[in-house]
Amino acid sequence: MKNYIMKRLLATLPLLLGITFLCFVFINMIPSDPAEVALRVRQIPIITEEAIAEVREELGLSDPFMVRYVRWLGDCLRGDLGISYTNPSRTVVGELARCLPATLRLAGMSLVFVVLMSLPIGILSAVYKGSWFDRLVRGAVFLTTAMPAYWVGLLLMWLFAIKLGLLPTSGNGGFRHLLMPSFTVALTYISTYIRLIRNNMLENMKLDYVLYANARGLKQRTILLRHILKNSLQSCITAIGMSIPQLISGTIVVENVFAWPGVGKLCIASIFNRDYPVIQAYVLLVGVLFVLFNMVFDIIQSAADPRLRKGAA
Amino acid sequence: MLRRLSKNKMAMLCIAFVLVIMLGGLFAPLLAPHSPYENNILEKFRAPSSEYPLGTDNLGRCVFSRMIYGIRPTLFLSFLTMAGTMGIGLLTGLLAGYMKGPVDEVIMRIVDVMLSFPSQIMVLAVVALMGVDIRNVIIANVFIKWAWYARMIRTNVVKYTDSGFILFAKSIGHRTQYILRHHMLPCIASELVVLASLDMGWAILNISTLSFLGLGVQAPTPEWGAMLSEAKNVMTSRPEQMLVPGIALMLLVAAFNMLGDCLRDAMDPKEARS
Repeated sequence: MKNYIMKRLLATLPLLLGITFLCFVFINMIPSDPAEVALRVRQIPIITEEAIAEVREELGLSDPFMVRYVRWLGDCLRGDLGISYTNPSRTVVGELARCLPATLRLAGMSLVFVVLMSLPIGILSAVYKGSWFDRLVRGAVFLTTAMPAYWVGLLLMWLFAIKLGLLPTSGNGGFRHLLMPSFTVALTYISTYIRLIRNNMLENMKLDYVLYANARGLKQRTILLRHILKNSLQSCITAIGMSIPQLISGTIVVENVFAWPGVGKLCIASIFNRDYPVIQAYVLLVGVLFVLFNMVFDIIQSAADPRLRKGAA
Repeated sequence: MLRRLSKNKMAMLCIAFVLVIMLGGLFAPLLAPHSPYENNILEKFRAPSSEYPLGTDNLGRCVFSRMIYGIRPTLFLSFLTMAGTMGIGLLTGLLAGYMKGPVDEVIMRIVDVMLSFPSQIMVLAVVALMGVDIRNVIIANVFIKWAWYARMIRTNVVKYTDSGFILFAKSIGHRTQYILRHHMLPCIASELVVLASLDMGWAILNISTLSFLGLGVQAPTPEWGAMLSEAKNVMTSRPEQMLVPGIALMLLVAAFNMLGDCLRDAMDPKEARS
């Protein structure tokens, strides 16, 4: 097991490097000159050629590409991602840190929705396959995968906030503000996981060990709870865990619909303001989260299921 | 396979629906009763009538005409996205799978990095970098999606490389190019069609989402996502404005998804019967 973890950690490193490299290439492909931008950030009124050349030297912009990449990577590791173009008094890391808690709350609540709704519904529709409940669920799943998330958000907002007046329309306040946006984020994933759990359980039901359990004369309920459920839930939990970064990035659209002050809203605002360092930091953050979560849940899964370890080693 | 598909009523219904929508977009100037840009502030928020089949919007523009003209960017851009994605994916996938060795290594490592980002973030990054413009949205979509296809195609190519008919074609001295085109492609084509059909839905949703956020198709141009964005501004007073574009988007995406599922079943009769 220790070997496997080491191996997995080592395999993650090049991927992380690749992501940072991509982010660095990204910031270097910006159409504007960083030296000029730096001068503007310092609010120097007249930008002369000499001043640009001076800043260029000062920021080390005339160094070779790889030298600059290594220096930038060092800065990143020390938690320095530069300053925001539009708001020079703030650092990029500060901006992200300010907005991240709201997004994490939103994503966390969505995760609760995903687990609480997709597990029971998926299990029930697999157990009662072909019943009216199963058909209803499958219909609903099919429709929700075809609905744009922002539209669902708008419809919910209209129904619960405007028509019924139960929940606040938008913004970040208490728990009640959290309900609608997080459900909207969760909806796509709920339907994905209902389908996953249902198919997984149906697949397990066909396997030999279920036949054997039946032959032993075990009660149907024991077979279902102790055998099928245990075997099929494992991979589903892993899949849900791996989708946590997707939940975080999936908040982008919903945050903008519900005016939720998280990183997604920050990112869209930065795109309109051409605030490149913030966008870069956001992309870097989500990319790293994505890789790390994948790794952690990969290890958890192989710890729970020794068969996988052998295959990978 | 086609015969089995033609027996599937659902699949035929989906194909018919998509075709009708496509024709509607193609003949938009003939079908639309008004110009999609023609506004008449006195006629705003009209209920559906014989003159305005779906009513009018906040500027008094005919919603029905805007919907019909809106088919054009929605469908055309999605098709463009899929064509680009499949083109690049096919090329790199075939190369990686058939050449093996260092070419394979390099391509697959790039694919790994591409797939380690959530797709939505990559689209935003590319759009942010290149500026807000619909052309860039297409490039961004192709840029993130090709890796999926490259991986899928490579897996298939590797699977078939050692099969009898490829080895035979090689041994009788066919050129690599010929083998790839005449033996490899037909094998992959069926799976490619399924994936493409499912991803059409994805492309439509993605493009409309970006338009909704204001990063894709820009305001006066009729596009379903952009129309929803305008409807959002009047949702307290005129919530019914959100219904038409939203339902249309849902139906179109559902049709493509359903079509993909049917195609998959038609190709794999074992699955269909269970």
